[in-house]
Amino acid sequence: MPEVIIDGNQYEFDSDKDGSLLQFILDEGLEVPFFCYHPSMSVPANCRQCMVKVGTPVKDRETGEFELDENGERVIRWFPKLQTSCNTQLSEGMVVHTQETDDLVERAQKDTLEFILANHPLDCPICDQAGECPLQIQTYKYGPEGSRFEVKKVHKPKRVQLGPRVTLDAERCINCTRCVRFTDEISESKQLTIVQRGDKNYPVTAPGREFDDAYSMNTIDICPVGALTSSDFRFKARVWEMNQTPSIDISNGKGCNIDLWTRDNLVLRITPRHNESVNDYWIPDTARDAYTIFNENRVSRPSQKLDSEQVQSSWNNAFATLAEQIERTDKDKILFVGSAHASVEENFVLMALSNLLSGSAPVFSPHIIDGAGDDFLLSDDQAPNTNGCRLLGLNELTSEDLSEKIKKAELVLLLNDNLVDREALQSSVFGNTYVTMFATNKTETAKQADLVIPITTAAEHAASYVNVDHRIQRTVPAKETKYSNRRLDIEMSEGRLDRYGTSFDNWVTEENKVDCLPLWNIANELSDRLGLDLRFENSRHIISDIAEQNPSFEGVSFQAMDERFGIDLTSIKNRVKS
Amino acid sequence: MSSADWKNFEPVLIPNVKDLHKIDVYQENGGYSAFKEVLTDKKKWEEPKDVVNEVKAANIRGRGGAGFNAGLKWSFMPPADGGPRYLACNGDESEPGTFKDRKIFEYNPHVFIEGALIAAYAMEITSIYVYIRGEYKDYIDMMQKAIDDAYEKGFIGENIFGTDYSVDFYVHSGAGAYICGEETSMLESLEGKRGYPRVKPPFPAQKGLWGRPTTINNIETLAHVVSVINKGADWFSGIGAKNHPGPVLYGISGHVNRPGVYELPSGVPVLDLINDVAGGMRNGKELKAVIPGGSSTPILRADQLDGVTMDSDSLREVGTMLGTAGMVVMDEDTNMVDMLWRIAHFYHHESCGQCTPCRDGTGWLEKILLKIKNGNGEVKDLDLLLDITTQMEGRTICALADAAAWPVRHTINRFRDEFEARCKKSVHAVA
Amino acid sequence: MTYEFDEKDLKEIEKIKAKYPEVLPATLPVLWLAQNKFGHVEPEVQRLVAHTLDLPEAHVHGVATFYTQYYKEKKGKYVLDVCTCLSCQLCGGYDILNYLEDKLGIKAGETTDDGMFSVEEVECLGACGYAPMLQVTNGKYVNNLTEEKVDKLIETLKEGNEPEYEQIRMPLRKVN
Repeated sequence: MPEVIIDGNQYEFDSDKDGSLLQFILDEGLEVPFFCYHPSMSVPANCRQCMVKVGTPVKDRETGEFELDENGERVIRWFPKLQTSCNTQLSEGMVVHTQETDDLVERAQKDTLEFILANHPLDCPICDQAGECPLQIQTYKYGPEGSRFEVKKVHKPKRVQLGPRVTLDAERCINCTRCVRFTDEISESKQLTIVQRGDKNYPVTAPGREFDDAYSMNTIDICPVGALTSSDFRFKARVWEMNQTPSIDISNGKGCNIDLWTRDNLVLRITPRHNESVNDYWIPDTARDAYTIFNENRVSRPSQKLDSEQVQSSWNNAFATLAEQIERTDKDKILFVGSAHASVEENFVLMALSNLLSGSAPVFSPHIIDGAGDDFLLSDDQAPNTNGCRLLGLNELTSEDLSEKIKKAELVLLLNDNLVDREALQSSVFGNTYVTMFATNKTETAKQADLVIPITTAAEHAASYVNVDHRIQRTVPAKETKYSNRRLDIEMSEGRLDRYGTSFDNWVTEENKVDCLPLWNIANELSDRLGLDLRFENSRHIISDIAEQNPSFEGVSFQAMDERFGIDLTSIKNRVKS
Repeated sequence: MSSADWKNFEPVLIPNVKDLHKIDVYQENGGYSAFKEVLTDKKKWEEPKDVVNEVKAANIRGRGGAGFNAGLKWSFMPPADGGPRYLACNGDESEPGTFKDRKIFEYNPHVFIEGALIAAYAMEITSIYVYIRGEYKDYIDMMQKAIDDAYEKGFIGENIFGTDYSVDFYVHSGAGAYICGEETSMLESLEGKRGYPRVKPPFPAQKGLWGRPTTINNIETLAHVVSVINKGADWFSGIGAKNHPGPVLYGISGHVNRPGVYELPSGVPVLDLINDVAGGMRNGKELKAVIPGGSSTPILRADQLDGVTMDSDSLREVGTMLGTAGMVVMDEDTNMVDMLWRIAHFYHHESCGQCTPCRDGTGWLEKILLKIKNGNGEVKDLDLLLDITTQMEGRTICALADAAAWPVRHTINRFRDEFEARCKKSVHAVA
Repeated sequence: MTYEFDEKDLKEIEKIKAKYPEVLPATLPVLWLAQNKFGHVEPEVQRLVAHTLDLPEAHVHGVATFYTQYYKEKKGKYVLDVCTCLSCQLCGGYDILNYLEDKLGIKAGETTDDGMFSVEEVECLGACGYAPMLQVTNGKYVNNLTEEKVDKLIETLKEGNEPEYEQIRMPLRKVN
């Protein structure tokens, strides 16, 4: 293996895989500050921040051996100028000095930051990016102590609505061109350009055109300053007030990896989480809009229809009513409807109930819109878990067949799927059927139900989803329900507030906790009332049970999913076959 | 011919021949015979690379400012692989003080065309583009006419002189951007983009226009190729200064009696150029300072000029450069603060904005100089200016930051008293 | 108003495209063609260029704003670009600019009310030996300016005549 010497330490590199010196430094857990470089895009080397001192050993032309000096050390030929590490290619024996060991490098990085800050507004106190701003962070670490810039700063457009979802403050822009490269190279909408030149330049759309790229908001994430901010999230919360929890997008079948950002039990924004096998660093804008379903229009406390009007009920009443309905209805007149919008675990729990109570597996109707997707991160499949339902063995029905089934049933237990809203069903099909819906939100579908039992969303439970490419990935609870507790729930990720916050933190409130339960919890309660031999511990156990019972899920567990950033089930399938 | 003997030099690039810009007149004076010779005289020029070697031996140092041996540059082209290869001719000429290539476009366009064709043949190039700054509208038209004429005569196009060599020649107009004189920025501009200099490596010889091998040469550089072929590398390298040989188009401007472009051997004494060639100082004023080769080259005080000649070695000794040989002469009345501010204003205006140190450094330099010029400067501002130049130099993709930094550093260092006096006279508001 | 290329323009554009192995390089020449035809490259014209070449509008906009010779807004019939850079500054470029501003009653960057003249202060135009000088609407250079010569130029332009091309001979090279 070829070697490179960085700050006096030797590192082996793989000449096929490792190219950029900067990327190698980052991969090794070392640090060199940078702004314009992004591993998934072209390398313009324009911010000039990642300067290092680079030398290569001199080789004897005849022997091909490294030349040695009188002390037996390799003779190093240093580049006359400092090099930007992003576009420096690794080579055998290369010697690198970073800011850790070289004063000139340290000075150069400080100088560049001084230049960047010269025309930067320094408005961190009112900037959304503060707290997660590479410019702010690197200025603290590597920047000058104060400013010697005592002349007038350049003024540029502020609060420009670039498109429906992205706001530009051109004065904060440091011209790294990441956003322009994103629309040129990743989303390929080519909607952005840098205009003007010199210190007057900034990114913008063509005159009169909107930045309405379906992936536009990724530019907000990759913007290394607060020049591009989310029009929706602007001024809503400071980064340090929120908890960041890894999750999976449930608004599409692609299963993009995301982070949920929560405060006071509300999801305030969604950002992409890197997963090379699924979505790289990106998510579609629609995946970010999905945060509202966790906060708004939630079903909280069960409700029951009385005189064709839904009124709030108690959990006790709801369980009693449902148990009674099940007991009084013929087995073959009970229909369990699963959901591609619900997790593997929820569908599995429903299936367990269904097998015991109706004698057959639940049915489900996929939510696929032909042509709705693109070649990138949006699939035609609008549900996160269609393949999960299939692999569990639910009976896949067209919406017509589902309508027929429902019409024939006397009691329907419907797992969270907005069939009426998405026009898979007419509301009239329910007729005199008694409908119980396990629902998260007050949708048109939920309104049809005679009994609505509130269940947790992907933001409140740990659960798995199988995406269009047969990859199983899982969520982590990000916010509390009325019955959960951040500090007690082992599944819940720990945020800064959990670690350092106290109950006296005046920005923390106990509000916005939804009165709902995970489906397995509800199933336990029901099986108690009906005297069934059914008991679920938690999601972690449920997925292990599934893995034991269903060969398609062999080897799947939360731990395995966490370690491997999700598991490709096709590899399991192939293994099972062979 | 030695530099000292410059008075007896007969111009070869732009000789005093009436209507030489017309192709017939050019041909009557031996035009296109050099090109014909390298293509058809297989005894003398067996292979294209023989031409490269001859030009390398002549040591034509690039006349665009960098001064790199043209033949050596040509030899960096990888072997031909059957795909397209390009020659991009740099007629962007935008460095303040420089106005020489336009003389070739106007008076002897065919010597450039012929030189470019020889270069193209030598490097097995398939297409030639000449990039001319957009402001030179008249010269663009003149060049287009000259190229059309050469096509008509069969010097450009398919199977030239009955050989299997074919090449195309196009004019591309700039649209107002100094930076496009930087060779890779020019390539970007030719490709229809914003003129951002490219990160090197890869160098244009590996990946130039449209990702293909490309060589970029200055107009005057290419024009010199013709006499190298006609008269030999020895003749060329025997003219003027040893390490920077050949005829040079000197552009002389500023406070002299007869400004203009003069073709003389390299290495002419600076004071000869001012006092003899350009007819001495205007209105009998005293000489104060000279910028030898375009606004980026460090300024020289009059007392530094004794014995200094216009070639790279001599100029390096006094801490400056030959650049484009566009000499700007200043008399005793010249205000160095105002003059330097104007140069800083130019580079601030022309920075493409790609690299941080240049984008924000050029503006900072100008704003401090404006403050001093307006009578609000402090002596500490001078040290800050010097500090900023150090922070800019060598830290960017192209040399524009260096070009902006050098004049500031050297003008302040060489005229520090004048700058300090201006600062000390400043009246500062007291809060 | 809507801007369109006619048959002749489109033919010319095809000729331009043929000079290059791809379409992108036609951006600059076609912007020139459009500016020569319409007198400017306002956003609507930029859009026309983008659509005609089937290139992204943002690309054309970025290019148009990078290069100073493209008029991103309507200008006077004659645009007087006065060079004040280094050699012109030394030789009185600012005096000429100020004289012109006073004469026309506008400042650099402005256009006269009658729409006849715009004055711009520009960077080096490569006529350093013939300073001070100006360029008329990206075209003819007017060299070695004096106040009288400026007066004459304005008269000529007001009469609707273009200035003549000024040939500047190579100066005598032998001095004895």
